[in-house]
Amino acid sequence: MNRRQVTLEAIAALLILLFLYAGISKFLEFDRFIGEMNNQPFPNSWTPFLVWTIPSLEIVIALTLMFERTRLPGLIASLILMTLFTLYTGSVLLHFFAYVPCSCGGVIRKLSWPQHMVFNLFFVALSVLGIILQRRKFFTSIFITKKNLV
Amino acid sequence: MKKIKFMIMTLAIAFSIGGAFATTPRLPQDCLGATQYYLNGGSYVLAGRMGIDYICNTPSSAVCTYYKVGSTYTPCCWGNYCTSNCMTSKPAPKKARN
Repeated sequence: MNRRQVTLEAIAALLILLFLYAGISKFLEFDRFIGEMNNQPFPNSWTPFLVWTIPSLEIVIALTLMFERTRLPGLIASLILMTLFTLYTGSVLLHFFAYVPCSCGGVIRKLSWPQHMVFNLFFVALSVLGIILQRRKFFTSIFITKKNLV
Repeated sequence: MKKIKFMIMTLAIAFSIGGAFATTPRLPQDCLGATQYYLNGGSYVLAGRMGIDYICNTPSSAVCTYYKVGSTYTPCCWGNYCTSNCMTSKPAPKKARN
């Protein structure tokens, strides 16, 4: 197992840890999550859609990251989702919305908005690095296969 | 090589599932799952439903809502408690759809 492979596995494991933890936690405290979503500065009519979509997406992304075949789409999905979260955090920090929603109890929830921003940026960077490494690995395997065929 | 991969994945899955269960409050009176109160002139008053009856506006180090643990009121959310009758400089909470 070379260093690149180990790094890739570690990145996938960290992202799985994040998404699976976040998704399961939201379903375990569903009422609380609904309350938190209602407190966000977007219309309450979005809540029924978002409370199901966000944790489901997080769990699906974690599942795709577990398997070699689906890892690249999983990393891309993770980058898109984390970028969206980062943009939202940035909008909150820049007072783009009418008010800044509160932070309540919990582990990740205890982070302040600037801390959330750093946390999100770290996982955006991890996703980007993961995509680069996974793509390199993918092209290397194609090159080796072609070489063997010739 | 596959063994190491399998071990890393198993650890990640175990920690995430275990962590989610471990950090989930088991008591129904824990924070947002519990009835929320706000401090009004020295007494605790029922806050209503978050996002519908009130919002917690931050940044503020003030405690927005409390929940009851036994007979003690413990902070749950931070920010300024804001309802439909709050000052005009602050936003009014969103109204629930009927």
